[in-house]
Formats: sequence, structure tokens, C-alpha cells
Amino acid sequence: MKGLGSRIFGWEFALVLLIALAAAWSTYLSPYYLTVEQILYSTRHFVFPGLLALGLAVVVILGEIDISLASILAVGAVLLAKASAFGLPIVVAAPFVVCVCACLGGLNGALVARLGLPSLAVTVGTMGAYRGLAFIIGSETGYTDFDASYAYVGATRLGGLVPVSFLVFLALALAVGFLMERTVFGRRCYSVGNNKEAAWIAGVDVARLKIEAFALGGALAGLAALVWVGQYGSARGDNADGSILFVVTAVVLGGIDINGGRGRIAGVVLALFLLGTIRNGMGLANIGGPTQTVVLGLLLIIGVLRPVILNAVGRLRRMGPSGARSTLAD
Amino acid sequence: MGMHTKTIAAAALLALALGGPALAKDSGFKLMMTPKWTGFPYFEAAGRGGKDAAAELGDTFVYAGADHADVSLQVETLENFLTQKPDGIMLAAIDLNAVAPVLKQARAAGVVVTTFDADAATEARDMFVNQLSYKQAAQTMLDCALLDAPEGGEVAFVAASPTAPNHTAHIKYMKEFIANDPKYKVFTVVDTQYANDDDAKSYDVAINLMQAHPNLKVIISSSAVSAPAAARAIKSSGHAGKVFSTGFALPSAIKDYLMDGSEKAFALWNPYELGYLAAYVTHLKLAGKLDIKPGVTFTAGKAGSSTVGEQGEIVYGKPLIFTKETVDKAGF
Amino acid sequence: MPPPSLTARAPHRSLGNLALRLRVSGVVAFLILLGAAFAVLSPQFLTPQNLRAIVSNAAILAIVAAAQAVVLLTRNLDVSVGSIMGLCAYLTADFAAAHQGVGPVLVLMPLVLGAGLGLINGLLVAYGRISPLVVTLGTLSLYRGATYIYARGQEVTSYRLPRWMIGLADATIAGVPWLVVISIVVVALLAAFLRFYPAGRRIYAVGSNPLASAFFGLRAERVIVLVYVIDGVLCGLSGFLYAARVGTVTVVLASGWELNSLAAAVIGGVSVTGGSGTVVGAALGAVVLASIDNGLVLMGVPEFWRMFIQGAAIVAAAAADVLIAVQIRKSVQGRRRFRERGA
Repeated sequence: MKGLGSRIFGWEFALVLLIALAAAWSTYLSPYYLTVEQILYSTRHFVFPGLLALGLAVVVILGEIDISLASILAVGAVLLAKASAFGLPIVVAAPFVVCVCACLGGLNGALVARLGLPSLAVTVGTMGAYRGLAFIIGSETGYTDFDASYAYVGATRLGGLVPVSFLVFLALALAVGFLMERTVFGRRCYSVGNNKEAAWIAGVDVARLKIEAFALGGALAGLAALVWVGQYGSARGDNADGSILFVVTAVVLGGIDINGGRGRIAGVVLALFLLGTIRNGMGLANIGGPTQTVVLGLLLIIGVLRPVILNAVGRLRRMGPSGARSTLAD
Repeated sequence: MGMHTKTIAAAALLALALGGPALAKDSGFKLMMTPKWTGFPYFEAAGRGGKDAAAELGDTFVYAGADHADVSLQVETLENFLTQKPDGIMLAAIDLNAVAPVLKQARAAGVVVTTFDADAATEARDMFVNQLSYKQAAQTMLDCALLDAPEGGEVAFVAASPTAPNHTAHIKYMKEFIANDPKYKVFTVVDTQYANDDDAKSYDVAINLMQAHPNLKVIISSSAVSAPAAARAIKSSGHAGKVFSTGFALPSAIKDYLMDGSEKAFALWNPYELGYLAAYVTHLKLAGKLDIKPGVTFTAGKAGSSTVGEQGEIVYGKPLIFTKETVDKAGF
Repeated sequence: MPPPSLTARAPHRSLGNLALRLRVSGVVAFLILLGAAFAVLSPQFLTPQNLRAIVSNAAILAIVAAAQAVVLLTRNLDVSVGSIMGLCAYLTADFAAAHQGVGPVLVLMPLVLGAGLGLINGLLVAYGRISPLVVTLGTLSLYRGATYIYARGQEVTSYRLPRWMIGLADATIAGVPWLVVISIVVVALLAAFLRFYPAGRRIYAVGSNPLASAFFGLRAERVIVLVYVIDGVLCGLSGFLYAARVGTVTVVLASGWELNSLAAAVIGGVSVTGGSGTVVGAALGAVVLASIDNGLVLMGVPEFWRMFIQGAAIVAAAAADVLIAVQIRKSVQGRRRFRERGA
């Protein structure tokens, strides 16, 4: 499921190599990097984008896109604030908020599936609309007085070491990975992403599948909101504003084909680790934001040039007498 | 050095190292500063100020941060700072609550936390170096508006966002002054708009404001990005002389409009000195030379003397009003 | 289920028919409706100076939206438009401030720079065979980072800009601001190129049916590089105009414009799956966005609600466009497809 099986997935393998390289580079950059506590602590910053990335990956595999996920997170955060202020226990509030966020995602899905609107167009719109909704609900001041139970997921570290939010992310990554690799839902997503018409002819209820996938993205955004309020202790309309580009970066770097039908959840998780390691290392060395931006941009481009290079190398090798071999690097 | 001298030196160093914690450290602190975002001349100036203060006092100084205003990135920067075991941290907070958890952690570890320009939650920091008290800021902006339009008229406010605590405070006090202070009663508030610290948006907002309120006299911007953009919008749309833009702005950004007469006055403070002061007070606190209680006065090198106010707020309190005559003297 | 009707029906009165007769597309219909609604809700909306304000605010975005549209037509996209604008604007403004004597010929600089930056995008997408989203996400960061590193914490203030540049943004011709005139001319030229020149038509071909185009010998790679270069040139120009308009040139200039241009293009009926849509539509999409902004300020709608309404409007506009396109198709074909698109 996570690349630990006997099959070696090219892109994921490359990511693992890159992570090792990045870790080495980070150790070189800063003496503070290489401790278990520090590394685990730094994972917290990638949990909420990670959850969003899991949801986005499912939608992208399906052949669509949803850039409103960060705005859904904000709605979730301010709703949690309202629930906390109201005195609702977390076991009631959390599922409620996750449901609402799932509905927001599902609305995106319905607009795409039932009305036939292009998902990029729709989610550019709902990105703004949901953000506005978050501001309307959240009002000006933002909320900070969260009940300890609300803050548990985002703020606690088991044994003072392992962040609960990180464990939550790992668990969900496993779950979503399982969903996509081993269930009918996942297989259908891949097939629709590959060839929508063929899948429909084969009897897949494409519309319903899309709505479900978008709803899943929304639900994950709701969970990300739960992590957010615990981690940052703040629920405001502008929560997570601007983070969607990073999430998209993680998804594409993870090998998910933006046209749909290809890529694995494992890749996304690894990509998040890679991005996290690089940013952590550079941050500890106090390397300026702009430089970090350039490095990430270069990484993105060079990183995805690898299959092209591999392809070319593979083609050269196959010109010899070695016979037919797979040309796909990923 | 002879053998004898070396031995003495080694012994002295050893004694210092062993007795280190017991001796009050006077210098050589590790100071780290992060702005709301880097690359903005205002914050860059503050960074330079901090760096110079640290150099003057014999401390080390690091200035780092993300290249755009992002709450989670700022928290990440602060956590990375904390991992490097600094002695003092200075920051301009994007979201006063979001940075509270990490700052509290820092304080628990003995780090002195100083905010400047934009405060964090009170219990999360030791001191807040406020450029101007909110009331003072409001009054300064209104004074500039009076310079623009002494006879009064309709005014509109432009802020960054409804969730920016300092801008909302400015607006609140400005409204209060206009309602209660006879000096400012000549003004009437007609609108408040938000431009997200984005210059194109500020420009468009100014244009739309002038359309929505034909009798608008002054656009007052708390955001240093919006004031120059509004001035430009006024000039381009041919409203120069009929509508004025004022508020806080970097003198270099509004020099054009002061020189050609389309605008009369803008305000700010010296961000370099603000950063300098922030680093200086952090050092003083670390060296045990500053007691954070209301009424305590202290001297901060080039920045002169100051008094500690309520709840650890140190008001820098030196507003600068830029007019055609004074804008060049600002030097930034 | 009854078999789909295969006989052509006489086109009866329908929305699509009307739209076809008037040659009105979804965005125009939306704009008209919007204008009518605002005119009713706010008396100042339809005044000449307000309309002029709207098109002035829309002018630069219209060009960027048109640039985005050209790329979208080939089934690609460009999220680095804001960074291209920023880098070209900053380099040009800085150069202009340091060399005051160089006259309007300076405008060639952002065009050439933009072409170069666009060329990089195009080559990576076309020959590197990398997904355009990935490439332009990468160049978004690269170009913006380069701007930062070059600027070293400074900004170019309006005082240092040459007077002719500032003057360009202020000047009007017959009451119409020069920026608007430039915008209209650029979009019109682009539309003409796409319609009347073989190279332009090839852009549509590659987008609507890449397989067939390849079959006919169309070298898609060259077309793709061309569209990104055009896109880069237009972004360079837009960056320059933006600098002239706003006056202060910062490193974050046009940050976020990738989303604005995408929004404008989709409102304008440009399909993100390639092959259909017009640059004029995209430009009008920019006008729609500016109108909504303006109208809501005139009406005094609070900021939070404005964000919400704008987002909803984008969705509504996209829906309107699909609706009209479907209706047109229906009235033209005279029969229903046996399954609606979207499933």
C-alpha cells in the first residue's frame, strides 16, 4: 500500500531517495536538524496541508480538481469556534463540522457532476464563496478560547514527543490509500479518471462517484480544521488562506497525474515528507523565504523531469539486444 | 603568550564556563527577528534597525521569515527559531492568537519575547513595542486629514482586513474622535473598505469609493500599501485637489504626490528605529537591566528614553508627518 | 427508455435560439443581467464616469485573462502569470528609474522579458512533456523568487518612475483612458489573430482535437510554445501597465493574479478543457469581475458578503455559460443528446 510491497514504484522510489538526500542536506545546513524530537515536532506543519492533499489527490485521480479545500477548512474552523463557544462537547461538534464540510465539498461535486460545470471554474468560485462564508460566520475578531478537548488533536504530543496530529495524518493516509488501492470506490475513481466515457458505459455512476469524492475532500478539510484549531488556537475567516498552492504542489510532486487516472496516495505522502524535510532544514538554517521559494520551484521542475530523463535513458538502453522492456518510469 | 599566561587564561575560561549560569550575562545574546513578511521595505528597515542595535550591544542577530504573510509559515518560522535556542525573539504577529502557543513555549524556556508593529496575545509575550498607541495613531491620521481638508467633509477608511486588530482599532478610535472631539467634528464617516494590503486592490477600491460617494473628501488608509495606491488613483482619475488620500505610508512611496501638490500630508514613524528599539529592549530585559512594570523608564541607545506602559506595552510614540517640505529629510 | 429521436425537429423558440440569433454568448448575457440588476439597485451605477471606472479597473486583467485564454485553448494553463507580470514589471521599473532618459521604447523590455519567461514555460510543457500545472507552479515560484532576490528588500516608488510612464496611465483619448484603449486594441488584435491567421486557427485545432491535429501533421509542440510565448509577452505588457497604473512597484506585484485570470477566463466562457472560448469572452469576464466589485461597493455591501457574492457569481457565470452553450447546441441540432454531459 505504501510502497512497502514487493513491487517497486518508480516515482515513489525516487521520492524516497530525494527525502534521504534532503535529510542529509538539512543535517549539513543546520546542527539542530537531526534529532528525533525536532523532526517529529516539525511534522505538525504539514498535517493540515497533508490532509487537504489527501482529499485533493482523490479528486485529481478522478480527473477533476478542487481548489476550494482551504476555504472549506476555514469554514470548519469557525464552525468549531461557534460550537466551542456554545459549549458543545467535541464528540458532537467534530462529526457535525466534518459533515458540514463534507456537504460543502459535495456541493462542489454536485455542481461539477450534475450541472456539467468544469471543476476548475466551479472551485475558483466556491473558493471565494466559502472563504466569504467563513468570514461571515467567523466575524471580525476571530476566536481563540477553545476548550481543551477541542485542542487535543492539534496540540498534544504523546509522551511529549509524538504529535497526535501526525498520527492522525498517518492513519488517514493509510485509510485513504487503502480506499484508493483496494476498494471498488478507488478502482472506479481511477477508471473514471482514465476514461470517463468508458467507465460510464461500463455502468459506473460517474455523477455519484464524483460527488462522493468531492465530499471526501471536504470531510478531510473538516478534519484539517480540527487539527488547525488545536495547533494554532485561532479560528478566523482567513485561516489557511493561500495554502492551496502548496497543497497542489504536494499532490503533483507526489506523482498524481493532473489529467487523472494515475498516481498513488503513497506518492503524495512521500512528497509531503520531502517538502517538509526541505522546508524544515532551510528554516532551521534561517534561509530566506524567497530562496526557499526558488528551491521549491526548481525542485518541482527538476523532479518531474526525472521521468522524462528516465524515459530517454530507457529508450536508449532498449535499442540494444535486451528485448522489450516497460517504458513507463511511473 | 607565555605558558604562564596561557594557563591563567585557560583557568579563567574554565572558571567562567563552570560558573557561567551563575554570572549575569551582559552581552552575546542570540536575538532572532521575524516580520510579517520579508521583502517589504518597511519590515526590512526594522530588520536593519534590529541588526544595528544587536551589533551595538554585542549580540548576534538573525532576521528571517516567509516571503508572504502566512500565519502557518510564521508559526513555523517561530518554531524553527525556538529549536535554535535563542535568547530573545522579536516578531510582528500576523495573527495574534495563532502565534500564542509557540510564544508561550518560548517564554517557558526562558526566551524573552518582544512583539513590535503588531502585537500577539498579551500573555504570550514579554513586551510589545507599539509604534504609536492606537489612539495616537488615529489622531495622527486625522491630523493629516485636517491638513488635507481643513474645512472637513466626507471621509472613508481603508484597512487591510476586518481581522487586522490594529487597523480595526485605528478605525474605532477615529470614529470616536470624529464623534466627540470638536477639532475633528468637521468630518463625517461614510464608508470603510478593505484592500488586503494589495496595491491593485487598494487602487480599485479608491476608484470605487470615489464613484460611490461623489462628495468624498478624504480617503484615510491605515495600511502603508493602500495610502500611496489611493493617492495614485485620485490623481489618475482626475480627482486631485478634490479628493485626498492620507494615512500611513513610507515617505519614498508618497514623495511623488507630495511634490506635485496633489497630496498634502502622510504619516508614519521610523521603522528602522522601531526595530532598533525592539532589539534593544529585548537585550535590556535579557541583561536584567529592564523591569517590565508600568512607569519604569529606560534609555535605549540611539532611540532615546522611553517608559514602560500598561501590560508590557512600550509606546515608541514618535509619529512623523510628511509634507512637501519634510519628506526628503526622512531618509527612507 | 424511449429511443433517442433521430429525426431533426424544427427549431422551436428557445433560449438557445434567441442567444444564437443575437450572437450573444453566456458572458455577455450575464453582463447585461448584472448591469441591469446593479442599475436598479444603485442609481450611480450606469453613469458614464462609473462605467469608465469599471472598464479602467478591468483593463489590465482583461489582457491577462486573454493571455490565459490563449493558453487554455490548447488544453494547457498558466499559473505563473502573476509572477511573470511581477518580474517583468520590477526589472523594467528598476531599469527605468536608473535610466531616466530612455523613452517609451522601454516598453519593449517587458515584452522581450515576458517572451523569454513564457518561452521557458512553453519549452518545458511542449518538449519536456511535463504537465502545464506542474511547470507553471514551478515557474510561479522561480520567477517570484527571482524578483525577490533581485529587489533585495526594496521597492520602486512612483517618484523614481519616468514621467512618461506615469503619464501613460493617466492620459485619456476622447475621454477614454489610454489603458482601456490599449487593452481593447490588444484583445482585438489577439482575437483577429486567432480567427484569421492559420497559426491562430491551429491553436484552436490543437486544443479541440489534439489527435486529429497530429494526424493532419500539426506540430502541436510548436503551437504550444507559441501560445506560452504570446502569454508571456502579454503578461509582460500587463506587468508594465500595472506598474504605470499603481505607481509603486513591489516584489509582490500581481501576486494571486493567476486565480483572477482563471476566474475571468472561465466566466468568459473559455473552456478549461481546451478548444472553445474566445479571448473577447475572457476580457469580458474581467469586466464582469470589476462590475461586481464596483456594484457591491456602490451598494454598500459589507466586505464579507462581497467575497461570498463574488465567488457565487463566478459559479453562476460558469453555469450560465454552459447553459447557453448547451441550449445553442440543442437548438442547432434540433434533437436531444441521449445523455446530458456531466455524467
